[in-house]
Amino acid sequence: MNAVLFDVALTGYILAALAAVTALPGRRERLAGIAETLCGAGWVCHTVSLAMRWMETGRPPVLTLAEGVSVVIWAVVAWQLWAARRSEDRVLGVFVLPVVLVLGLLLPTGLRTMALPPSAASGWIWAHVGLALMGLAALVLNFAGALMYLLQERQLKGRRPGAWYYRLPALDTLDRLSLRTLTVGFPFLTAGLALGMIWAGPSVGPVLSRDPLAAFSLVMWVVYALTLAGRAVGQWHGRRAAWLAVAGFCTLLLTLGAGVVVQGRHGS
Amino acid sequence: MSTTFFVTGLSHHQAPVEVRERLVVDEDKLREILADLTAREVVAEVVVLSTCNRVEMYGTAEAPGEARAAGFRHLGAHRGVPLADLEPLLYTKTDDDAIRHLFRVTASLDSMLVGEPQITGQVKDAFALAQASGTVGSVLHAAMTQAFNVAKKVRNETGIGRHAVSLSFAAVELARKIFGSLDGKSVLFVGAGEMGELAARHMSEQGALPPYVANRTAARAEALARELGGTAVPFEHATRLLAEVDIAIASTAAPEPIVRAADVRAALAGRGTRPLFLIDLGVPRNVDPVVAGLDGAFCYDVDDLRAVVEANLRERAREAQRAEVVVGREVARFAARLRDLEVVPTIVSLRDKLETMRLAEVERALARLPGATAETRQALEALSQAIVNKVLHAPIVKLKDSSRAGHGRRWTETVSELFGLRRGGGEPGA
Repeated sequence: MNAVLFDVALTGYILAALAAVTALPGRRERLAGIAETLCGAGWVCHTVSLAMRWMETGRPPVLTLAEGVSVVIWAVVAWQLWAARRSEDRVLGVFVLPVVLVLGLLLPTGLRTMALPPSAASGWIWAHVGLALMGLAALVLNFAGALMYLLQERQLKGRRPGAWYYRLPALDTLDRLSLRTLTVGFPFLTAGLALGMIWAGPSVGPVLSRDPLAAFSLVMWVVYALTLAGRAVGQWHGRRAAWLAVAGFCTLLLTLGAGVVVQGRHGS
Repeated sequence: MSTTFFVTGLSHHQAPVEVRERLVVDEDKLREILADLTAREVVAEVVVLSTCNRVEMYGTAEAPGEARAAGFRHLGAHRGVPLADLEPLLYTKTDDDAIRHLFRVTASLDSMLVGEPQITGQVKDAFALAQASGTVGSVLHAAMTQAFNVAKKVRNETGIGRHAVSLSFAAVELARKIFGSLDGKSVLFVGAGEMGELAARHMSEQGALPPYVANRTAARAEALARELGGTAVPFEHATRLLAEVDIAIASTAAPEPIVRAADVRAALAGRGTRPLFLIDLGVPRNVDPVVAGLDGAFCYDVDDLRAVVEANLRERAREAQRAEVVVGREVARFAARLRDLEVVPTIVSLRDKLETMRLAEVERALARLPGATAETRQALEALSQAIVNKVLHAPIVKLKDSSRAGHGRRWTETVSELFGLRRGGGEPGA
């Protein structure tokens, strides 16, 4: 049942993304409203599906890669719905929803075929997984913000405003969005990864060398750490920060992709 | 008793300014015209809207053609324009078309610069003047009130008035697209010129700090700084200030660029994360064109600003199409209400008439029944009430249906004739 609900939710997100993207250039408010409703309905189904999964297995639904990605999507959509409600700015969905769908398509075989991982769950794993997933969710938003920044900067630099110029928020607002998502996401990610390593204990070396997900996540961490350091020092702002966010998201996709393709401790 | 809602007049679409300027009259004269038109019963209700782009009469009249002739003979007489000269320029619209016209004008969809908000205020003033003169009845009151609601709705639901149509405002909008808010942003103004001054003034109004003003003539800088509430700085220091300010407006008559690429490169290196927005109003240009390509600098010259204004106008035109949809919906809704308004007085007088008859007949019957108990009285009341309701049912339903179908007027006449209702009974504003 929860797998069916998850598919319903995903279908809702796909339709919402399509509607939001179609509505934007033509300023079709009603269609944009429908997109928001679809997205909200999808999210409710998603929530129920996660809750059912939790009750079924008797543990938080974050132990497999597919579950993890599902939770990341859930958190991102929740933020997007909240932000759209607060600012009445529906342009966010146009960027966030397609990114969410890219993640959704990464889900190996959907939720229905997932089995419990063999490793026994301990307190460590909840903290490790929970923190890392929240970090990832913020970094997904960071990427959506970066895309918007790059588009708006192109419009302003090009000096011939097109449709995006009117629809997208100010450059400064977008830069702040990507800074905020980075400063929220990075500590979560760091704490999550650190806990994972401590948890692995003496076997951390072999895990990193044999588990591609763990190895790639370190690369990802380095990219985001560099971005944050660059921003803190003061020079890597705006366009450069946006491109780094894009690079960071690529490593994020690689990390998840590695987890899907290659068997490891995190494997599918 | 049958009157038609109409609009008649001329506007910038057909009438040249030489004609429009000769129809401008002051408020006293307008009051006189309003009073005269209603006194002569040419119109039942009337509002005269007189702006530099249009002169129009809105109202209800039995014969809108007569109202048009009488009104414009008056308006023309003031400066000796004969009605015959005006006739070919005048348009007249009635019923739904007139409502649509009123809504479009009030929402600034019929303006010379579509979306400019002044017209809504001008319609409000015209309405207030007519109200004060006592020439507004229930139909115009409802129509005007609704027109203001529609204008507000169009403003809120579409971006029709959102984008700047002047170069100086376009510059301010661009600054907002870069910086988000202009609060606390610092501005440098080099040179002089009306457009630059306007841009600097708009920026301050939006929260930017008082501008630094530089000019080759120190006295000129002082004077301008005083006017703008800013600070005069020596001309030689202007390029050095580029490292500090967020927005620089250059508007000098210098034959060569006064802001060189090297200056801007140096300024950008020293300013960390903040972008620099350069507005170049000079022709020949005051800022080296290379600057536009530098990372962190946004540079717009006069042609760029003009391109932004043109894009804004296209955006307004697109928003205007959305506004037309809103107006179309509201016209249909209001026309239905107006038609109800048309049959309501007839329904009321029909009910009144039968109720009066019923009460009289009940009294007469009771007078013939001296021993009537409370029950008898009650039975008589109920009986007469039931008969009256049954008789009234069909004509009232017919009136309501016909009003919705658009021929309520014919049926109000028929019903009034059949039931011998007073002509003009309940007609608003008469």
